Amino acid sequence: MSSINALGLILLLVMFLVGGKQGFRSFISLLLNFCSLFFGIVLIEFHVPPMFVAVVIGITILAITIFMGEDDLRTTVTAFYASLIVLTILLFLIFFISHWAMVQGFGTEDSDDLEGMSILIGISYLKVSVTAIVLSTLGAIAEAAMAISAGLTEILETHPDISNSRLIEGGMGIGQQIIGTTLNTLFFGCFGGVLSLFIWFAGLHYSFGTIINNKIFVAELIEILISFLGVLLTVPITSLVMVKRRKEVVDKSIETK
Amino acid sequence: MTFKWSRQKKYLLMGMVICGLLAMTFVTHNQRFYRQPIARVVKVTNGKAQRTEDEFKNVDHQTEQQITAVLMNGKYREKKVTIKNTFSDSQPMDQEYYVGDQLFLSQLGKRDGGLTANPAGQKRDTVVVFLSWLVITILLLTMGRAGIFALISVVIDTILFMIALALDLHNQGNHVLLIFSVLALIFTAVSLLLVLGPTKKMLATFCSTIVGTTIAILVGVLVLSLTNNRGVYYESMQYVTQVPRPLFIAEILLGSLGAVMDESSDIVATLFELKRIDPNVSRMQLFMSGRSVGKSIMGPLVNVLFLIFMADTFTNSLLYLKNGNSWGYTFNMNMSLGMVQSLISGIGIVLAVPAVSVFGSLLLGRRK
Repeated sequence: MSSINALGLILLLVMFLVGGKQGFRSFISLLLNFCSLFFGIVLIEFHVPPMFVAVVIGITILAITIFMGEDDLRTTVTAFYASLIVLTILLFLIFFISHWAMVQGFGTEDSDDLEGMSILIGISYLKVSVTAIVLSTLGAIAEAAMAISAGLTEILETHPDISNSRLIEGGMGIGQQIIGTTLNTLFFGCFGGVLSLFIWFAGLHYSFGTIINNKIFVAELIEILISFLGVLLTVPITSLVMVKRRKEVVDKSIETK
Repeated sequence: MTFKWSRQKKYLLMGMVICGLLAMTFVTHNQRFYRQPIARVVKVTNGKAQRTEDEFKNVDHQTEQQITAVLMNGKYREKKVTIKNTFSDSQPMDQEYYVGDQLFLSQLGKRDGGLTANPAGQKRDTVVVFLSWLVITILLLTMGRAGIFALISVVIDTILFMIALALDLHNQGNHVLLIFSVLALIFTAVSLLLVLGPTKKMLATFCSTIVGTTIAILVGVLVLSLTNNRGVYYESMQYVTQVPRPLFIAEILLGSLGAVMDESSDIVATLFELKRIDPNVSRMQLFMSGRSVGKSIMGPLVNVLFLIFMADTFTNSLLYLKNGNSWGYTFNMNMSLGMVQSLISGIGIVLAVPAVSVFGSLLLGRRK
């Protein structure tokens, strides 16, 4: 058996043991997200415009992560709308930043890996990199949106008559509680991805000026900063969406009682 | 939105705008601090596009550019330089330059009475500074105190990371796992101290983070050796200058740490809240509620890491597919490592749930 299959089986097993049915569903959502991501690459291979792929696959991944992660529709629908708004804002921002920074494709450090490859593939690497950055941030956005939305649903359940501004304050309060650890997750996640690159930089004594202008480094940095920004935007936007949807949420709470 | 701007926030915003303007002024006028020559493009003449086609029927176009630029630093400052550049439609390693762009030059020298040079990449520090400023400003304005602590924690962690890198290089990568395991311990302690303060809560979170991550790494290493690393292509690891396998394990360790910490602190916070509401809560009750909080967080968290690790392989996978490789080979050479990293991190995230629930309930619960 290959290592990936063995590890996958163990993950499925522990997810089921710890989380029961919900754990099993989490595993399926991981599998579906992988399929969506791979399908996205294949679509771009067939010259479907990368920005279109970013939107379609982005919405799919958000839907899978949010609706399979939680049962309560009051929470998930709000989280889904909020993360769609954040996705739209980020898409424009990433497009603008990428055109400014020009960090698409490969750097000189990639030369070894590219040996024997034909890199002129006739598809704009800039747009591909926009797609990749958008997709990498989605998990964090979905997670933050769900955390805020679940907290706000609970507040609405116990205080159905709370004023709109107090509700937003509540959302920002939950945001302040989760922001430290969420940023840690993203930050360490990225450290784990760039360790070997940094050893390369340090080993070859790159100067600070070289690193801060290096194509690959700037690309990684943009990715992490954009994810930070995505999470930061998610907090107020989820609160605002919850204010707009509060009537439905409260009605549903009464129904289920 | 009826968002009240307190006085403090107004001052903060004003301060950040001034800082931003100063930083942007500096970074757009810092050319003299670079040793490598930098020039600003003043005129561009594009040649005719040449069609290229490779053996896989990928069609692209290459265009030659004649660039006139003005040097901005060094002994030829203010002098004009002619640069020849070739760019393609897809722009993988090349790029099209426009009037106003600033770029680094290599092989600057006198030829035929004029200065000539080759392009060596765009100046990107302005973007980095702008985006960092934007993120920090929004972080401080929306998150207040929590934002400041998060920022301090990121800065300290970066410094620690650089110290660890220096140590690793000093030892020629011989103890990479040991160094980064110690770093992981310090990271966890520092981050949790900043988020939670020196409390019992912090201690419980710290212990369960360490236990969860350690078990995951041990299980991962065990499975990898039992299956003889079949289907794991260490040679496909990018930018490797040291022995790849321990480096890869160190990457998994660091990558999963933040997520496990995130989850543990959420669960511990809930358990403390339960204890506050009902001081007589039993260990079993605490354990069960820890588990029920954990099982709803773990799925989204595994997806967070999975998307970070896998989206990085997007461009390379596309290149492999476009070079006539099969789906299987493309997966093996680009995604197998990211997949292993996601799976082992996932196991850590899941196992941390019972670990933190046990710790929390032992610490807080009453024996019955």
